[in-house]
Amino acid sequence: MREIKTVTILGANGAMGSGSAGVIAAFGGAKVHMLARDVEKAKQGIEAAVASVKTDTIRARMIPGSYDADLEKAVAESDWVFELVAESYEVKEPINTRIAKARRPGTIVSTVSSGLSIGRLAKAYDEDGQKHYYGTHFFNPPYKMILCELVTHSGNDKKVTQALGEYLDKVLGRAVVYTNDTPAFAGNRIGFQLMNEVAHFAEKYADKGGIALLDEIMSGYTGRAMGPLATADFVGLDVHKAIVDNIYDNTKDEAHETFKLPGYFQKLIDAGKLGMKSGGGLTKVVKHADGKREKFVYNIKTGEYDPYPKFDIPFIKEARQKIKESDYKGAMDVVKKASGFEADIARYFISRYISYSLSLVGEVVDTKENTDGAMGFGFNWVPASAFVDFLGGPKETIKLMEASKIPVPKLLKDAKDGKKFYELGEKLDARSLFKG
Amino acid sequence: MSEKVFVLGGEQTDFQRNWTKEGKTFMSMMREVLDDALEKVGISYDEIKRLNKENRVAVFVGNFDAEQYANQGHLGAFLTEVNPALFGVPGARYEAACASGSVALDAAITHIRAEDYDLAIVLGVEVMKTVSSSVGGDFLGTAAYYDKEAKGVQFPFPKLFGKLADVILERYELKEERFMDALAEISRINYANAKRNPKAQTRTWFMNKEHAMARGGDNNMAVGGRLCITDCSQVTDGAAVTILASKDYTKAYAKKTGRKFDDIPRIKGWGHRVAPITFEAKKLESVGDKYILPWTRQTVKDAYKRADLDVKNIDVFETHDCFTSSEYAAISAFGISEPGKEHIAIEDGTIDFGGKKPINPSGGLIGVGHPVGASGVRMMLDLYKQVTNTAGDYQVKGAKNGLMLNIGGSATTNFVFILGK
Repeated sequence: MREIKTVTILGANGAMGSGSAGVIAAFGGAKVHMLARDVEKAKQGIEAAVASVKTDTIRARMIPGSYDADLEKAVAESDWVFELVAESYEVKEPINTRIAKARRPGTIVSTVSSGLSIGRLAKAYDEDGQKHYYGTHFFNPPYKMILCELVTHSGNDKKVTQALGEYLDKVLGRAVVYTNDTPAFAGNRIGFQLMNEVAHFAEKYADKGGIALLDEIMSGYTGRAMGPLATADFVGLDVHKAIVDNIYDNTKDEAHETFKLPGYFQKLIDAGKLGMKSGGGLTKVVKHADGKREKFVYNIKTGEYDPYPKFDIPFIKEARQKIKESDYKGAMDVVKKASGFEADIARYFISRYISYSLSLVGEVVDTKENTDGAMGFGFNWVPASAFVDFLGGPKETIKLMEASKIPVPKLLKDAKDGKKFYELGEKLDARSLFKG
Repeated sequence: MSEKVFVLGGEQTDFQRNWTKEGKTFMSMMREVLDDALEKVGISYDEIKRLNKENRVAVFVGNFDAEQYANQGHLGAFLTEVNPALFGVPGARYEAACASGSVALDAAITHIRAEDYDLAIVLGVEVMKTVSSSVGGDFLGTAAYYDKEAKGVQFPFPKLFGKLADVILERYELKEERFMDALAEISRINYANAKRNPKAQTRTWFMNKEHAMARGGDNNMAVGGRLCITDCSQVTDGAAVTILASKDYTKAYAKKTGRKFDDIPRIKGWGHRVAPITFEAKKLESVGDKYILPWTRQTVKDAYKRADLDVKNIDVFETHDCFTSSEYAAISAFGISEPGKEHIAIEDGTIDFGGKKPINPSGGLIGVGHPVGASGVRMMLDLYKQVTNTAGDYQVKGAKNGLMLNIGGSATTNFVFILGK
């Protein structure tokens, strides 16, 4: 296993920078150079790191510094340089040029990028530097969300990758998912496909309940704690746009058209309504004079905010009750047999999610356990393979896909019935991700 | 005794789960854990139906306080909601505070020893994340003498076990620094062990010796005298099942499942003693005794005697580390060290995962989590895993005999079981 005693964090004052630094200083016991634009910001990052992992013991080994004054010296003595500055080539590339000049041979350099090309970013380095350059895509907040997508590119050395993977897993306690250098990697590619296509359906069904209706149809009984559109509102519509635009521009798969940003998302972004972080987006919460909070939802047709509706959809109620009683297969039977357009939508998206997840094996990841891990640990969504089991196995799942006119991935066609399809069960109990 | 009751295996829930957040209840927890346990052991609901026709199967539910946490009593009857195959199967709930799982095990063992049943399903269950920690702390106070020791006291149990730490320090005239260091090491070991256990509550939590030593402040608050957060186990939601069987049934089961009869572990010994309920009475009674918890020691001795074994024969221990001070006192109660010299066994690595007498390879209550009524059953399940060489990453090499100590209240109800081949 690789020994990492000294680490430099670039972007130490951001949520991801401070959170990741906390994990590295605590679990890894490393000395951490916390670099930001100025020392004051770096000091704030140290306090945020301490608060994130709740241990004062790391404070003494975190050293504040600035890019201007301290970058070269910190990088020169580091075993790992973890760059978490803004998500653009324009910001990352000049910093990489500086790191490349200062790093010692053998030092790992990685970026937290959720979508940029790791191969392109690696080009700032000499051969040794390229060999040691990775994407280490942590999720927010890093202490709680243990997924790390370890993104490799063609210049990496398998031995270094293995040693880094072991360090991230055994020392830092990350659930490591190995992905290839493809747009948005595994988690976001799958997650944002579903979120964006659900957003299109919300527009199509704007008269019937729009955003709120689609989140209801895709609620906890379909294996997630938060509806897909609530998730988009939570991460921010600007971030959502950046991710789906990147995938749309740089991929050409069967789901290509579903990555087009819906017009009403752009309208909201243009109006500065970016989601929860800006006080409103797809939904907003208003605090009344008496202290009571009321939730509203954006009406795609009128552009106004309406009171958040309640729905009474019998099959969802029935499925939810089954989940509440831990009868997961029973809940999926309800979904399979239900009639009405809402049930058709539910079946369509369950099929789409499984199909798209499994179709990326071979291109984005080498095995389905990697996409399963990405969705389970990174999004808290029931992994696709586990869904296959809850639906009654590959044959039943294929039937569902065919009825919804969703392509059947080869992996599923080749799978044997009567054998568990989900293989991460000992690490992640998929049942815990259904919400009743 | 040692040829009468066999353990066929079982399963536990992931103690990291919060069932209320998942929109699920104690009942869904019972369903999942029982389905999983039966699948793992290889016993079907049809087999239970068959046994029930002849009145040869029973269920024993360990639970402390479902009335307060879940507004539900009569849990012994609740397995009929889990599966209709359990209609008519004798079932009852057993309660002895944090030793509820053990009293359920004790009842099951007794019935099988008496040849009343062939198969006993023991299910420990507790849902605790339904209320805030301060409300839950008050509920837990009913495991002490509530009026005298818990009424109006915030978090009474850390305070009672903080008093145990005080008495240990005074009686044995230990250096405070060395003693507190030993308690921190207990904490470190349990958290480190839990990292290898995929069902442990704390498997992703940060903890090391440095943090355990840094007592005080917002990040490691004092909660009971000398004891801080890192000295405490934390409550959680969880359930565990172990399935016990008679000798004849075990023989037939071994044949049917292709296992070797000799590889299936048996209950070799047990002990059950109740100490005075208040901590003050315990303290007064033990003045002049070598052991601060003499009834805990006696329970261990009873189990050794019944098993015709001694500490030298035990390869692995699961103990009730509700607090670091309770594990500390257990070390001499097991006979691993002389009373007053427990710190040496901690310092020299004897109780560590790779040590001569490893304690809590699972992570114990501090690492695995403490769903009160399930803990005793979970300990038995962990002993089963250890002695059958199926504990995966937390397997103690070559373990043949294991001993568990499960206590209710401030070491009031003491239960010990020895499992081995």
